[in-house]
Amino acid sequence: MSFGRPGSSQILQAAPPDRGSFPLDHDGECKAMMSAYLKCLKENKSASTPCRNLTKGYLDCRMQRGLMQKEEWENIGLGAVNGSPDSRGATKK
Amino acid sequence: MYSAATMLFALGASYAAVPLYRAFCAATGYAGTPKTGMGKFEPERLHPVTGARRIKVTFNSATSEALPWTFTPQQKHVWVLPGETSLAFYTAKNTSKEDVIGIATYNVLPDRVAPYFAKVECFCFEEQKLLAGEEVDMPLFFFIDKDILDDPGARNVTDVVLNYTFFKARRNKQGHLEPDAAKDVVDASLGWSHYEHAEPIDSSSDAKGDTAVKPSA
Repeated sequence: MSFGRPGSSQILQAAPPDRGSFPLDHDGECKAMMSAYLKCLKENKSASTPCRNLTKGYLDCRMQRGLMQKEEWENIGLGAVNGSPDSRGATKK
Repeated sequence: MYSAATMLFALGASYAAVPLYRAFCAATGYAGTPKTGMGKFEPERLHPVTGARRIKVTFNSATSEALPWTFTPQQKHVWVLPGETSLAFYTAKNTSKEDVIGIATYNVLPDRVAPYFAKVECFCFEEQKLLAGEEVDMPLFFFIDKDILDDPGARNVTDVVLNYTFFKARRNKQGHLEPDAAKDVVDASLGWSHYEHAEPIDSSSDAKGDTAVKPSA
């Protein structure tokens, strides 16, 4: 973080995100996937588990359009989720 | 001769001990050495703990008065399992006639959940520029670390609140972007409002630009 915050020897309240910040989707390219995800949440009483395939779909949409750094699904916890086809395959880093 | 050899060996061994000890500790985590690498974002940690009680994460938003944006969560809550990476959305709209750069901070309540709330990727702490009149969706990809189930103080928590605050961004003396608001307001948005703070060091007197530390009276 570039602005000051109280230091602490314990775990800090607000830690920066692991992969940084999402680039803004200025053109709304993935808005449709977002709407599908939100609709799924409404239909499933806001439980996140039934909608994980749409989570994967949304993040895949971002990765395809350069709005998110490409990443193996296992590394972001979506390895076991069926979603959009994994076109990157199981490549080694 | 033998004593000289022994002394040399002992000297060499004492030099070698430091990297060897470090390697041993890093491999085994002995004496609390943190296991570096991806740490809490290792892929093995990112599996939902099926059968655990779901945790309700509620999303709140706030904006500073100086920021001409509307900023709202797109879902009121999400019920998640520990270890399950989940997605949530906020929407921000710049209602003014100029491009504005904002910067967001957040805090997690209750405090005892904060160490387990891990964000994989979000929109906070870095500048976000919205053009005049632009509306954009801001996703947040997070999970609650499954170690929360091992923490007797935190494992029964079922309600977590995530508060995001957007501030207008300004550049400080070092040229870094920071929230354009009073320090106590920013601290409150980070969840530090009920902590005592030391006096800020007055750096305006260093004419040459080096930050000499002065004792605060």
